Amino acid sequence: MKKKATAFDYALVVIFILISIIMIVPIYKVLIDSLDLKTAYGMKLFPERFGMAGYVSVFTNPTLYKPFLVSCLTTVVGTITGLTIATLGAYVLIQWKMPGRTLFANLMLFTMIFSGGMIPTYLVMKTLHLTNTLLVVILMPAINVYNMVLMRNFFEGIPDSLFESAEIDGCSPMGIFLKIVLPLSKAALTAIGLMYAVSYWNDYTHYKLYITNDNLYNFQMKLRSVIMGSDLPHAIGGATENTVKNAAVIVAILPFMIIYPFCQKYFIQGVNIGAVKE
Amino acid sequence: MNTKKKGPAAVAAGNQKRPLLVSLRYYKGFYLMFLPVLIFAIVFHYLPMFGVRYAFYTYKGIKEPVFVGLQHFEKMMKMSGFWNAFGNTITLSVIKLLLNTFMAVVLSLMLNELRSATFKKVTQTIVYLPHFMSWVVTASVFTLILSPSDAGLINALMVKFGIVKEGIYFLGDKNWWRPMFYIINVWKDTGWGTIIFIATLSGINPELYEAASMDGAGRLNKLRFITMPALSNTIITVLILNLAKVMNLFESVFVMQNDAVTQKSDVLHTYIYTQTFNSGALPDYGYTTAVGLTASLVGCALVLICNKASQKVRGRGIV
Repeated sequence: MKKKATAFDYALVVIFILISIIMIVPIYKVLIDSLDLKTAYGMKLFPERFGMAGYVSVFTNPTLYKPFLVSCLTTVVGTITGLTIATLGAYVLIQWKMPGRTLFANLMLFTMIFSGGMIPTYLVMKTLHLTNTLLVVILMPAINVYNMVLMRNFFEGIPDSLFESAEIDGCSPMGIFLKIVLPLSKAALTAIGLMYAVSYWNDYTHYKLYITNDNLYNFQMKLRSVIMGSDLPHAIGGATENTVKNAAVIVAILPFMIIYPFCQKYFIQGVNIGAVKE
Repeated sequence: MNTKKKGPAAVAAGNQKRPLLVSLRYYKGFYLMFLPVLIFAIVFHYLPMFGVRYAFYTYKGIKEPVFVGLQHFEKMMKMSGFWNAFGNTITLSVIKLLLNTFMAVVLSLMLNELRSATFKKVTQTIVYLPHFMSWVVTASVFTLILSPSDAGLINALMVKFGIVKEGIYFLGDKNWWRPMFYIINVWKDTGWGTIIFIATLSGINPELYEAASMDGAGRLNKLRFITMPALSNTIITVLILNLAKVMNLFESVFVMQNDAVTQKSDVLHTYIYTQTFNSGALPDYGYTTAVGLTASLVGCALVLICNKASQKVRGRGIV
């Protein structure tokens, strides 16, 4: 029983086109300016003097491409570390009859309720000589109790009979984990892995707090100082300062813009595992 | 651990209560697997928690800490900067939360009415997009397009159409900063916020709508009597979950604020940061730890209250 489209339906489409434009314009403006060798005024649909010099400037300038590499490195290593911690923790937390399980669960949950705060954490990292190392920005975000709980919710859905039969076949806990739990959880691993990857790539706060050596800055840190004008990049090939700034913004969002259309369903799954049950 | 020897008997035994020692040996492998998690939690969460004792000391990082009792808290109560930051934290977080939730509900109701599945999908993809941009990128994009110079899109357009004579420095004007903060937050997170509401909406039984149509209910009546009651629980859940995070506001404010707007924008965590790292003089970690402890305790109370509320509203807590 399909009804005919009414005026209401057309109005809705128009409104959504307007909303989409509002969402896109800021990003589009930056994209166009990054490809325009003439500093742009107002809104243009296409660059006035097209050129890739902005991007060439970003990737030939060591003060900009080194932070990009730092971002790549910490994102990859951090995501793997984070997934390891989240899956190990989640797997142990579903061992309902394990003595001490409740204690472990409460130890994890308590960190969501109370935190030492910015300064005590900073002082501990300083005492442990973790400041000004990439270790702190890789390891600290890896323990994310929220992600661990999401993973646990997913593991709970694995039927008990699978665990039992594996156990009868003589599988060790680690064996069950590697051979049964992980292969069955590909969707959750992708969803939560992507959440970790986004937070590592976008991380700014941890760097701002614990890293003062600018050789260890990631791209977000560098982008910030470029935009604030405290660290103007050397523009080459006819690029203006404005072109390079805009190109740097695009480089910072490019990796996720590329994978996002393919991974959207996993991102949404990540939200929904959390929404169904905390 | 060797389950092979025990075989099915061990599995069957799992259903009964085992002596503790047997149990511990049985779960040996699991304890080993939890060890890395425990170490991470201790280093990054529990050691810092013991660091809150500095709130009662004067500690400048060079000399040994000196016990001062509640002196820092007394000082804090007299600092206008603290109270300003405290008020701003609540105001900015709460208004942001209400605005974002309201917009997300409206947007998901509208998305739900769309007839073309393809158009809906494309729109969703677009409105989700800004969620993946970091706050640094978001602030950079808006710094560029809101710039008071000719290169700033908004100002250039407004000057061109004669709305204003000279560009407005939106992010550096204390009357404009807050509206801009809210607008940018709505732009960034409204789309993503719809996911949870759309999931609820798609769970509503379509027969309800059909039955309502038979009874002659129009769009508005269906919205009022079917959709809104179904959504209300989700809305309350979202509000409760986010209310618990009110005190955490930091990065979004930090990357958008500047000296000209401190009075309107400074929140507790940016106050702690600037007092510690940008104050010029040798920082007193004790004082800023005391401010941080206050923020943590208020945050903790909020989480517990929200947890109670959540148990009442939907039968289970948030932690």
